[in-house]
Amino acid sequence: MKLELGKIYIHDVQFADKTYVENGTLFVCKEEIEKLVLEDDRLISARVELARPGESVRIAPVKDVIEPRVKVDGPGAIFPGVINKVKQVGEGRTHALVGSTVITCGRIVGFQEGVIDMSGPTAKYTPFSETYNVCVVIEPKEGLETHDYEAAGRMAGLKVATYVGEAGRNVEPDEIVTYETKPLLEQIAQYPDLPKIGYVHMLQSQGLLHDTFYYGVDAKKFIPTLMYPTEIMDGAIVSGNCVAPCDKVTTYHHLNNPVIEDLYKRHGKDLNFIGVILTNENVFLADKERCSDMVAKLAQFIGLDGLLITEEGYGNPDTDLMMNCKKVTQAGTKVVIITDEFPGRDGKSQSLADAVPEADTMVSCGQGNIIVHFPAMDHVIGTLDFVETMIGGYEGCIKADGSFDAELQIIIASTIANGFNKLAARTY
Amino acid sequence: MDNVMVTNNCRCFEKWKDIFQMEFEEGWTYLDVLTKARDYIHQGYHLLTHPLAGSVKPNQTPFKSIILSKDTLEDAEEFRDLVLIEDSIAAYHKFIKGKPLPDWPEKSREDFRTVDLSLMEGVVSNPIMNRR
Repeated sequence: MKLELGKIYIHDVQFADKTYVENGTLFVCKEEIEKLVLEDDRLISARVELARPGESVRIAPVKDVIEPRVKVDGPGAIFPGVINKVKQVGEGRTHALVGSTVITCGRIVGFQEGVIDMSGPTAKYTPFSETYNVCVVIEPKEGLETHDYEAAGRMAGLKVATYVGEAGRNVEPDEIVTYETKPLLEQIAQYPDLPKIGYVHMLQSQGLLHDTFYYGVDAKKFIPTLMYPTEIMDGAIVSGNCVAPCDKVTTYHHLNNPVIEDLYKRHGKDLNFIGVILTNENVFLADKERCSDMVAKLAQFIGLDGLLITEEGYGNPDTDLMMNCKKVTQAGTKVVIITDEFPGRDGKSQSLADAVPEADTMVSCGQGNIIVHFPAMDHVIGTLDFVETMIGGYEGCIKADGSFDAELQIIIASTIANGFNKLAARTY
Repeated sequence: MDNVMVTNNCRCFEKWKDIFQMEFEEGWTYLDVLTKARDYIHQGYHLLTHPLAGSVKPNQTPFKSIILSKDTLEDAEEFRDLVLIEDSIAAYHKFIKGKPLPDWPEKSREDFRTVDLSLMEGVVSNPIMNRR
């Protein structure tokens, strides 16, 4: 399966009467976006605001971040099974408005979380302080049930991103990157002397505000399966996860999975990237047993020499991570795990909720319990009500000038457990 | 299946009180639920759900539900459940030490109940839970 990803670099975003891209500037029509979002009668208000790098702007609470993309050639269309019809994707040509995002924000539930600062000392902890963001602040109708609101919010973001992505359809990309993974036997034969490496991508799947969808299928209801890495670049996986902002894998992160990106960079050089095993992180322990058995079976079945595993979240998923690590290792495949850590504010406690002896090689993406200072910003997109009770905030954390202190885990993707961040821990 | 649900979430209690044996006290803390579940494990019960289910951490949500059973659905290693529950209790203390549970307004408490309920709904809808 071969995908050409045409990267259209965006250097500014502005409002206009219609939505288009010209000379690296993304122009968006506010009215059309609002109309699109309000097609869903579960939502009563949609306000579009723009946020650019360096501005004194704070965005909160953030639900999802999505990179606008459009499929210009090949089967299927972006976000299959969710926005567009169910059809295999990952082949042909896709255009991405690189450097821009669509961000959905607004109150989802009573506890608030997920901050993006576009400037100041905390901007460096999130990748979205460096992107040109089209923010859609949504508001549900009175009394809307939480599941319905989550679904409405998720769909609003994906619809807007698909709409904005269309602006890139007829634009000549600044760069075209080609990714290719062949059917298994051909892929192994292409680089017979290089180690065969795979990637186990664990999808959050615990329930409300903790869900992920593959071609529209709720991940808690599937069993582990094989995926061509390019499928994910066409939106085969979308996020429905709204908790734990620091290690939330947004839809943007699925589209731009850094493990897949890096494995492709080394593909044919010092490793042979065979493919991705998708699995879940269910609450039911019997599901964990079944799915980790199957992950190990698939790794052995396709003859991997080594693989990387990433998780999403803390606690329950740590058990899946460890079961996958242990069983894959015992089946004869070497494992490196990638995760973030929660060792307490002093850094002295156990950083994961579970551990096995087989987990002896780990890449850390940093720890979420550190306290950081958030200076006041000129403008807030969304709301900063109840800062003291935000996840990561605490009683008395807010000052009279609107600045506050909070744990790093309040920032979107600050310790994301797939490495799409700038934090790490080293052992000396 | 001889199941018991240990919970401090009234929404779970109301929903499943006729289906499961319930251990429910609205006044229980998250730790009380973990400790009660540990008691059951010592009495020979098996964990059916992960004690730290949900990404909302023990110093963030007041609510916790855990389902245990006299039967086991897996071929788990000996003492796995005890290790899991003890590790969960250790994790609880680690988080609470760093930052106590906020005094949430009722609106937030209700959202936390809804999330906890949803985690359990995913489990109870599993066909294997209807095995007799």
